[in-house]
Amino acid sequence: MKDLNLIRNFCIIAHIDHGKSTLADRLIEMTGTVSKRDMQNQILDSMELEREKGITIKLAPTRLIYEFEGKEYTLNLIDTPGHVDFTYEVSRSLAACEGAILLVDASQGVEAQTLANTYLALDNNLETIPVINKIDLPSARVEEVKKEIEEVIGFDAENCPCISAKEGLNIDQVLKAVIKDIPAPVGDESKPLKCLIFDSHYDNFKGAICLVRVFDGTVKAGDKVLMMQTGKVFEVTEVGIFVPNTKEVKELSAGDVGYIAASIKTIADVKVGDTITSAVLPIEKPLAGYKEVQPVVFCGIFPVDGAKYNELKDSLEKLKLNDASLQFTPEVSSALGYGFRCGFLGLLHLEIITERLEREFNLDIITTAPSVSYNVYKTNGDMLEISNPSNLPSAVEIDRIEEPIVKVNVFTPPEYVGTIMELCQDKRGIYTDMQYLDKKRVELKYTLPLGEIIYDFFDSLKSRTKGYASFDYEFAGFEPADLVRVDLMLNGEKCDALSLIVHKDKAYNRGRDLAERLKKIIPRQLFEVPIQACIGNKIIARETISAMRKDVLAKCYGGDISRKRKLLEKQKEGKKKMRKIGSVEIPSEAFMSILKLDDDK
Amino acid sequence: MMKELSIYIHIPFCEQKCNYCAFASFCANEKQKEEYIDLLCKEIKTRKTKRPVKTIYIGGGTPSVLTETQIERIVVTLFENFDVYEDAEFTVEANPNSITENFLQKLKELRVNRLSVGVQSLKDKSLQKIGRLHDKNMAIEKIKLARKYFNNVSADLIVGLENENGKDLCRYAEKLLSLGVKHISCYLLEIYENTKLYQMIKNKEYCPLNEGQLIGAFNKLSNYLQDKGMERYEISNFAFEEYESKHNLNYWQRDEYLGFGLSAHSFLDGIRSCNASNFEDYKLGKTEIEKLTTKQQVEEIIMLGLRCKLGVNLSELKKLNYEIEKNDYFQDYIKQGIIKLKNDRLFLNPVFYHLSNTIISNLMP
Repeated sequence: MKDLNLIRNFCIIAHIDHGKSTLADRLIEMTGTVSKRDMQNQILDSMELEREKGITIKLAPTRLIYEFEGKEYTLNLIDTPGHVDFTYEVSRSLAACEGAILLVDASQGVEAQTLANTYLALDNNLETIPVINKIDLPSARVEEVKKEIEEVIGFDAENCPCISAKEGLNIDQVLKAVIKDIPAPVGDESKPLKCLIFDSHYDNFKGAICLVRVFDGTVKAGDKVLMMQTGKVFEVTEVGIFVPNTKEVKELSAGDVGYIAASIKTIADVKVGDTITSAVLPIEKPLAGYKEVQPVVFCGIFPVDGAKYNELKDSLEKLKLNDASLQFTPEVSSALGYGFRCGFLGLLHLEIITERLEREFNLDIITTAPSVSYNVYKTNGDMLEISNPSNLPSAVEIDRIEEPIVKVNVFTPPEYVGTIMELCQDKRGIYTDMQYLDKKRVELKYTLPLGEIIYDFFDSLKSRTKGYASFDYEFAGFEPADLVRVDLMLNGEKCDALSLIVHKDKAYNRGRDLAERLKKIIPRQLFEVPIQACIGNKIIARETISAMRKDVLAKCYGGDISRKRKLLEKQKEGKKKMRKIGSVEIPSEAFMSILKLDDDK
Repeated sequence: MMKELSIYIHIPFCEQKCNYCAFASFCANEKQKEEYIDLLCKEIKTRKTKRPVKTIYIGGGTPSVLTETQIERIVVTLFENFDVYEDAEFTVEANPNSITENFLQKLKELRVNRLSVGVQSLKDKSLQKIGRLHDKNMAIEKIKLARKYFNNVSADLIVGLENENGKDLCRYAEKLLSLGVKHISCYLLEIYENTKLYQMIKNKEYCPLNEGQLIGAFNKLSNYLQDKGMERYEISNFAFEEYESKHNLNYWQRDEYLGFGLSAHSFLDGIRSCNASNFEDYKLGKTEIEKLTTKQQVEEIIMLGLRCKLGVNLSELKKLNYEIEKNDYFQDYIKQGIIKLKNDRLFLNPVFYHLSNTIISNLMP
């Protein structure tokens, strides 16, 4: 008989870069879960991209065995993604735990996501242990940060563990705190099965795999289980735990963290937040907190080489196997041909997917400017959800457009309050609140249109505050706004892939800005190329790319035909990165770069 | 009848390397020259074929730095091993400063019938700055002298030199035509990194024309030459009727040729090859070989054809399974008047010659 008192289920929450994955590594190392030989920095971040960006994208749980006061404890650590795009995933991971380590950087102090994640932990009734990390840094200000934690978050931090995950300092104090302060799971093996899916993976041999926390009952191979949200029934083929690689076990029971495989063909059937119960003896009510995940940022993805459409499709399908939140539907653009309109949880999610397409699938792709989804009410009473600017009906058919609004929390040192307020105002933000958390930290609250957030808000915030400010946002519904579509014409031809939906007051500036950027990025052509920005038929900005001057090999030396041919072949090869729109050639990065902040601005 | 051939012979020696030159050429002493000619003659003998020769071109470097005996040895060896047509076009390149009456006399005896003179400019300061060993007067005197021996004299001009605008170039051309020059090659100044001129420009000691000025000057010269009755039969070559360089046309029409000597190129049986460009490797007989794929053949036909007045024969492309009409750019270019289609031949509008790389590479498969 298993003793639940010897189990702890916990996670680590932190602002990005506060050392979450490094601490996880140390815990794994200290408990001997992975031998030193196999130790690779940031074990749980298994994707190359995760290691590179220093962020966790895919959750990875692991079981640690630790001896304390003569007893052997099983500690299930559930790593969480540290980015606002994945708030829902974080909340489900938290729901699988009884406690959380709140990791705070000793020099940075409390940041936007520290607080956002803390609130999530409190929502899930978790026992939260503050831990101060990076005390080895010269800039560490341990006492002040303790005070910050107490004042801002309201936790007692006086005796909290102060560690350096990098140097392996005081890691044992963390493990002791986990055992002493986090409650053991409560559950009943004899009750019907009740499991929470907090993540999923796709395995080529086993199908979609559910990462679960068992609250009541037991589950083993051969059991028939019911997914309560989808109503689908599967027969379990295997259950197991993470050490941190998967290891098959006979059964999982109340209190355990592990996985369930059931020959589930598609990851769409494994919904994060869903409850798994016995198909024979189902429980009545699923666990609370389930949400259907909706993409909030959209963009078009097209192959640079039109012939690679099917490759792009296969690659997206492969990514979707492991990422239920990725959405895509075929899209045809007059400028870019066949591609897909894709939906993402946020900008980071978008960036990750596009980078994976390029790196792991070796595809050259064109990404159009990200857009949010607008609710467009037509004069005939219809409502359309428009995430592709070129699908916006003509102005006369539109009664009103509503745009998604978010509540934003910005944390910043006080000296940047002015510039941030300016930025938020510029982004059509509405001020709601400001609080001095202490002498060095201010929390600013605004509501902002999401469309403005995805247009360089993050970059602007970072550059205006030298990287000191952090922010976090949550949805706050839709509000009507005076929005128009700005179209770009190249050599008199409209390029649908460059259209944007923007607020009327900003249309003129954005149009001009866009035309200037395109002028910079589009190389000279055989003819002069006018670039025009317009709203409907009204031209609001114009730039001209002058014609190419000289591009000729004048000297045909002796019989050296090969050299010449190779030069032209190379020139031709360079064209593969270009997209022809009408008679104008555009470098594929142009479509995305129109959103990037200029260095000189 | 056996297929005809052209022959190129490379003389890699110069009295002094020009500041803009990036080709295989260097200063050498008599012993080195003799040694090279030995190797050259050996190569000519080894690669002997029975195919008739329609053109010969001795280029460089500066072939006129050779003594009469040396050039005689080469040509005699060639005649002994190859069947050269009586009326074959036979060109020798020469620089004004090394042209002598004896040398011309010798060439005449050796059946040379065309002389290509490296004039480059007719402005003393310009010639001096680019490291040429002659001045304006010498160039004029030597062309006069050459004309005593040869009816068919060609001159090279460089466009883009410091302070030389279109008007200057037209003046030079006028002078050359008055001396009876029948063919003029006009080259755009190209700056290669491993040249003295590149360093001079970097050090602000030399200021070539910018792209706009360069094309402006070239077009002015081109118009002038055509007004005077010359034909622009290739992007950078102008000639009176019947005076086109048959040897160069041979290259551009992808007919076959053998090249002897350092870094000389050959094209035979669909294979392009190139002799080593350094002495040691050449001695060992090293060559680089490239067997052309169908795609490469198509590329060459388009590239060479569009540079010439003669254009591209579309049925030749079709034979190689390339339907140029289906190229993404083809219809646009036709509509924009960049290319023209006439009697199954495709031509590049000369107005766009200065942008030919973009156009040609876009039309390639």
